[in-house]
Amino acid sequence: MSLISKEKLDGWLSAIAKEATLIAPREIGGVLLYRPVAHSNDIVFNFTRPEMSIKEWLFPATDRLMVIEKYRQQIRLTETLPNNRQVIFGVRPCDASGLKVLDTLFTDTDPVDLYYTKRRENTTLIGLACQEMGESCFCKSLGGELDDPRDVDIMLVEREGGYEVQVITEKGRDLLPSDWHDLDNWDERETERRVYPDFNSASSPAYLETQAWPPFFKDDYWEKLAERCLSCRICAYVCPTCRCFDIRDEVLPSGVGFDRFERIRCWDSCASEAYRRIAGGHNPRPLKGQRMRNRFFCKFYYYPEQYGPIACTGCGRCVDACPVNIDITEVLQHLVEVNS
Amino acid sequence: MNGKFEPKIVGYLCTWCSYTGADTAGISRIKYPGNLRAIRVPCSGRVSPELIMRTFDQGADGVLVLGCHIGECHYDNGNHRTAKRLPILKTLMEFTGLEPERLRLDWVSASEGERFSRIVTEFTQEVSALGPTKWQNHTESTGLRYVGSRSAEMSQPRVATFSSRFDQYVEKTEAIQEKARELLAKDQVNCVIGYEVGPRGRTRPAFIHHVDEVDRLVWNQDCSHNLATYLRQKLHPSQKSSSDEKRQRVAIVVKPCDSRAINVLLSENQFDREQVYVIGMTCEGIFNKEGASRQFASHHLPEKFSVQDRCVHCTERTPVLCDFLIGDPPDSSIIPESPGDDELEGILSLSPAERAAFWTEQFDRCIRCYACRQVCPLCNCPTCLYERDDSLWVGMGTGINEKRAFHLGRAYHLAGRCVGCNECERVCPMNIPISLLNRVLAKEMESLYDFRAGIALGPSPLLTVLRGVEG
Repeated sequence: MSLISKEKLDGWLSAIAKEATLIAPREIGGVLLYRPVAHSNDIVFNFTRPEMSIKEWLFPATDRLMVIEKYRQQIRLTETLPNNRQVIFGVRPCDASGLKVLDTLFTDTDPVDLYYTKRRENTTLIGLACQEMGESCFCKSLGGELDDPRDVDIMLVEREGGYEVQVITEKGRDLLPSDWHDLDNWDERETERRVYPDFNSASSPAYLETQAWPPFFKDDYWEKLAERCLSCRICAYVCPTCRCFDIRDEVLPSGVGFDRFERIRCWDSCASEAYRRIAGGHNPRPLKGQRMRNRFFCKFYYYPEQYGPIACTGCGRCVDACPVNIDITEVLQHLVEVNS
Repeated sequence: MNGKFEPKIVGYLCTWCSYTGADTAGISRIKYPGNLRAIRVPCSGRVSPELIMRTFDQGADGVLVLGCHIGECHYDNGNHRTAKRLPILKTLMEFTGLEPERLRLDWVSASEGERFSRIVTEFTQEVSALGPTKWQNHTESTGLRYVGSRSAEMSQPRVATFSSRFDQYVEKTEAIQEKARELLAKDQVNCVIGYEVGPRGRTRPAFIHHVDEVDRLVWNQDCSHNLATYLRQKLHPSQKSSSDEKRQRVAIVVKPCDSRAINVLLSENQFDREQVYVIGMTCEGIFNKEGASRQFASHHLPEKFSVQDRCVHCTERTPVLCDFLIGDPPDSSIIPESPGDDELEGILSLSPAERAAFWTEQFDRCIRCYACRQVCPLCNCPTCLYERDDSLWVGMGTGINEKRAFHLGRAYHLAGRCVGCNECERVCPMNIPISLLNRVLAKEMESLYDFRAGIALGPSPLLTVLRGVEG
């Protein structure tokens, strides 16, 4: 076992902060968020999960795609690709597997999303295993585990007397200080590959298999469920896998005879009424129930059908953040019961 | 550049009086500072708050709004609206860090070249003395900790001694169920909007359409949601409703604060009084979010518990309107003495620069999820001004200017309408103390017009023309 002390960890993190942008859980105005930190003193180590997932550091809420400049008859387009190196500390396994879900769409499927992919390449993830499940966590039901190291670069597990370090990828190895190899207990064997039980195959499955979803498309359950929905966007914005966006060109400060614009993309959510509105004002999804259905079908049917993974990692953020207690676990349980 | 600060001043001048007044000044060769960028508008009433906010966002050091004298408006009462709007906007912008001297409203008629010049000169001097605006700049943290009602350890714990027991909730729950059963059975309403407890023990809105679902309804100390939010959509289904369809009629369970929202909606003709059957609840306060549900589950209430901030400031313990009242008006002794709004006073005691820094820090967290807007019973524009595809008021990005413009605009649109249910703050996932903006405007409305939204039927004074006493 490779065990390092808290002091060593602090020193290492502070050293990382000098070379790259270190992003870690931090308390901002009473909310725990992944934010840049200059020193390990600012980092919160004991937490269930920050309010927002690490998604916002790879797929930001507002991303500038290019700058458009117009001078007389000439137009110049400048692509703005991110090239900032960042290290995210305190990544929970559910968030890391959320990135795996996003990868299948943004990186593994043509056309490749350069902005996401570039950030992904420049990001190293230091995982921190959960000590216990939070009140609304359900990662285990979706095949996750509290200390699942599969999707991070380095995994830390808090043990008595320090943190156990598991190096998962080459990227992770590069981030480690070389003098750690001199530690008495340093052991760089590859981490044992554990087999993760698929809880869904158990006698009471946690969610419906993909092929069982289509019959529920015409179910009046969705309209009933959505009656209390406020059509806000919290559930999509806190979700580690929701990835819809909208693109618009906006004006930047310009000069006389010289115009500047930027093309930005911003998060969008299928819960909002305007999301599906098309040219001419028609809205094929005018009812809240239809929008609600889309959210669940997207996560458990459309996405797995098109890209492979289920677009839910069981982090439970939407369960806690929803102002009117629309609870994804309750919905899944209902569908399972009706189906059986 | 000789190093002297030359402020950028934008003037919105009414074309009939003030713009002509500027011309008069020019023709009479009266001098005034060249810092003013005059923008001609058809009427000072056309100068929307967004216009002023965005002017500051884009770097103006001062904004001057000039219109016709009261009584001389070419559109009869356009300037009455300006006279009511601007002070409200000014209060809001001052509260969030603008120096009051930077925004000025005045009246100049077409013949008053001299007056025009004097006002512009004075204003330019005042703004010059202040130096460049800090409105856009992200200044360093104030270290001021206001963390909203959610974090008990930061703010003063609000503790009320609570004499009643669990039985009270059982009794009220039964009374609601009985009434709902009666209304649905007699087909007096299509739906009863109330509360239920979900599988995780969290209380949430419930919509009861049939008599056999009535048992789901509950009343407890977590009934925080303002159900009046759902009235508009229930009574005005967005899809084409056929004319032969029966007129929608719903029953709704309301707390005193919620009932005020119904008054505002009725005053704004959102639906008819007969369409709503109001089941009013007397209220002794709603619990703070944390731990409340678990305490309920254990069927035992502690002697002391902490109620939400809004309940401490609340003055109505009985709904202002209802068709059926459940519960006795509570004994006033259990209501804690209102400690005054110390959070509000705290912010008001800061300097403009500190306030700007404080609010920049707060708005910076906003993710524009619009939950505050969606949950508000009174944010009821079919399409929000800040979300229209053709709107250039606010970009769709998450820059500080966009977020601030959204929040200030939202609060401004609720001036004289907000009933203080604080749902906006409860739902905010980023814990932004949004209700402070509403509270400062409510306070202003009370001191200017002696008006509190929703206490009685009738339009907000901001929506009417000036009356004698208000001039």
